[in-house]
Amino acid sequence: MKTLQKLFGNASTRKKVLLFVSGLLVTAGWAANFFWASSRLFDAFMLLATLTAGFEIARRAWQGLRNRHTNIELLVTIAATGGLAIEVYWEAAAVTFLFLLGGWLEARTMSKTRDTLKELINMAPETAILVDGEKRTEIPAREVDEGMQVLVKPGAKIPVDGIVDSGGTTVDESAITGEPIPAEKQAGSEVYAGTINKNGRIYVRATKSGADTTLARIIRRVEEAQEEKAPAQRFIERFARWYTPGIVGLSIVSYLFTWDLELALTLLVISCPGALVISTPISVITGIGNAAKKGILIKGGEYLENAGKVTAIALDKTGTLTAGKPNVTEIIHFSKAADLAGVNPKEEFQEIHTVSLPDRNNESLPLEGEELLYWASVAESTSEHPLAEAIIAETGQSGRIPEPDRFESYTGQGIEAVLGEDHIFVGKTEFLKQQGISINDGIEKEIATLTKKGRTAVLVARNNELLGAIGIADQMRPEAPKMISRLRKNGIEHIAMLTGDARDTAEAIAEEVGIREVHAGILPEDKNDIILEMQKQGHQVAMIGDGINDAPALASADIGIAMGAAGTDVAIETADIALMSDKLMNIPEALRLSLKTLGNIRQNVVIALVTVAALLTGVFTGSVHMAGGMLVHELSVLAVILNGMRIRWV
Amino acid sequence: MTTTTTILRSDGLSCPSCVNNIESNLNQTEGISKVKVHFNTGRIEVEHDTETVSEEKLVKVVAQSGYEARVSQF
Repeated sequence: MKTLQKLFGNASTRKKVLLFVSGLLVTAGWAANFFWASSRLFDAFMLLATLTAGFEIARRAWQGLRNRHTNIELLVTIAATGGLAIEVYWEAAAVTFLFLLGGWLEARTMSKTRDTLKELINMAPETAILVDGEKRTEIPAREVDEGMQVLVKPGAKIPVDGIVDSGGTTVDESAITGEPIPAEKQAGSEVYAGTINKNGRIYVRATKSGADTTLARIIRRVEEAQEEKAPAQRFIERFARWYTPGIVGLSIVSYLFTWDLELALTLLVISCPGALVISTPISVITGIGNAAKKGILIKGGEYLENAGKVTAIALDKTGTLTAGKPNVTEIIHFSKAADLAGVNPKEEFQEIHTVSLPDRNNESLPLEGEELLYWASVAESTSEHPLAEAIIAETGQSGRIPEPDRFESYTGQGIEAVLGEDHIFVGKTEFLKQQGISINDGIEKEIATLTKKGRTAVLVARNNELLGAIGIADQMRPEAPKMISRLRKNGIEHIAMLTGDARDTAEAIAEEVGIREVHAGILPEDKNDIILEMQKQGHQVAMIGDGINDAPALASADIGIAMGAAGTDVAIETADIALMSDKLMNIPEALRLSLKTLGNIRQNVVIALVTVAALLTGVFTGSVHMAGGMLVHELSVLAVILNGMRIRWV
Repeated sequence: MTTTTTILRSDGLSCPSCVNNIESNLNQTEGISKVKVHFNTGRIEVEHDTETVSEEKLVKVVAQSGYEARVSQF
């Protein structure tokens, strides 16, 4: 008795057992009919099957009644009871058995569509190893407080958001960013809960844990998005609200007119709007889930619909089309080859070389180039200018940089620094000329070429002798041209670039990327005006940007897409679609997925409506009875679910 | 009285009508002030008084409605 109670206490086991037993009874009934042609035995088995499967349904109907609400289970119970009363045992058995079977199959497939989310939730480890002096204790991950230090071993999942204190490793961050290539982490790097530590031991200072982590916030966003009802879903739910009472009413009316109880009961059986109400949510959940797996966060079904209709796109430059971080792109230095040949290294004999760094694929620089970078870094080492950062980052790859003994910075011009015997100047051409350093025509020509390409040139001199120049640029993301051409191929002709940057730089990037319409040197509110103007021309506009200065435009656009949103709340808040990584190709991908999902919703609604129409016609022409009605109904629900699930693989 | 929000997750929701079954049953339970069942994600949000209704009790009530559910961190 106890085991039976235990078995029946667990809802899903109970359903499975009842389903299995009633299935056996139905089979036994048909076997009796086939082998012994015994209609009595057949009816007896079918009666038992109805009672077995009906037990669970009636229980839920009763539960509902007790809570004063009527449910689908009540209608099925009435239909089955009525079936038994008019002695159509097979029909009653089929209705109850199919209802249970359908429910079980549907729950199973529905749970598959919820897989992405489950994967994300399971990414978060349950425990963390807390470091306290020499002591190591394992505690629940959500109980780690800000400032505590945790140890993450190789192969383990990182339990909290935090900053690496010591140690170095690579981390697989695909759960957060959708980026499959592991990221390098050293002391000072930020790490996220749920990412996987690949190969090194790291000590992490926690900043957030439990429900506050980036992972938890992403999960919450995805869930909110999936729960947000698309306009189509709201429409269908309104329809469903009168559909069920309508059919029940129809059942009563037709009984009063025809006195045909079986017809009335059949109508009750098909009164569940299952396929209809599930048609939209199934596509939306699957579409949003699939996007989330790729690192695209679509904030709701409504945005899927809007994104599917986009005709024009406006893009921010810095941080969207470019990496948003200045980089050293070229080094101009003098060759000392003449020196080696024993010739007096007079200026006119020195050869000028321009080295383009992106083309070198990490090959080491010639010695003169290294020297140039080294002295520039010494002078810039105490500066916080973004250009200084770029220079130091480039030099940092080849060793330590000493701080100067004395330095002075001339705002907007350059820097003067002294280290031991060495006197260094770094800055614009005019600045170095003012300091009495001679600059020959050859190098000035090279610098002019760089400026035309949108680079900022910084000259470097040591002890009154020009060493060369450094070209710095905020570089285009390599996949930007491919993304623009993909958008064009997808039928979006009107593409514009919006930037606060100078026209020269803006046009250089626009040409590389393949955008013809450029709005340069504009303010955030101008960006907004341009979006409104495009909308006035009748376009559905998507705006793509990376943050605070794009926020107004992101909000006015029909669809706002935020770049690299992992971590920053501002972008997620204003945008309708947020990309978790800086993968540009995810922009056309998001639009494509939206379009596919929109199509899928339409197919599902059609399947559901056609089924309802066919069933009603079938019932009134007498070709559909209780068993058939339930079968077609459950099949249509499954068809809709399976069709929706296809979005997982597009 | 200490009110808290507990998140349960269920895999058994097969059709949107399940939402009403669970919601009405939880709403009838004493100590529960607010219930929201999300069909799309299978997430069940319950605002309840921890002194009268424990997390285990919540799981039990949902089981009574015919669905299996688990308490979730977030």
